[in-house]
Amino acid sequence: MLVLTRKAGETIWINDEIEVVITEVKGDQVKVGIRAPRHVGIIRGELREDVKNANLEAVAKNIDLLK
Amino acid sequence: MKITTAYLGEIEINPSEIIQFEHGLPGFEEEKEFIQLPLSEENVFQVLQSLKTQDLAFIITTPYATVADYSFELDESVIKVLDIKSNEKVAVFVIVSLKDTMDTSTINLKAPIIFNIENRKAKQIILEEDYAIRHRLVLEKKEG
Repeated sequence: MLVLTRKAGETIWINDEIEVVITEVKGDQVKVGIRAPRHVGIIRGELREDVKNANLEAVAKNIDLLK
Repeated sequence: MKITTAYLGEIEINPSEIIQFEHGLPGFEEEKEFIQLPLSEENVFQVLQSLKTQDLAFIITTPYATVADYSFELDESVIKVLDIKSNEKVAVFVIVSLKDTMDTSTINLKAPIIFNIENRKAKQIILEEDYAIRHRLVLEKKEG
């Protein structure tokens, strides 16, 4: 994982089409702005993690109930 | 082509039936090819079977049987990624988390699977709308 240290106002470019901007740093919260083309999906990590866990849980083990 | 499935043994499928998940699903990023197989006679439930991993199958169903007015905005990124040209060619289904009883089983309304029937591309999307990841599975019965 690439880790960069940034100050408020500084930016990071990904793949020539995504720009990540640290817009504000306040206490233990960082405001992150993302400029990306419309086909790029952006999501909060914890939400994706929740869905991932639900998927893992949902892998069908026994389908007798449906028969 | 022949594939071995988790519940239906070895079956013959037509490669044109394969559903492509470009980046897999959350938790299964390397699983990019699935096939949809019928399960019950009424076809309310189906199996989404991985082509790569025999034991990997999800039970899927239509969300509208549980929530008749289930609706959401399709994000532009999804429209572009699945190359959706028309609403009519889009199917929506949700993953069922089957437990020991129907009463305790749930469906993931927060992250439906969007399927472009025309090009066979699909993606599990995560909605902004306030739906539950574990919504109680209820099959609406017609009254009277």
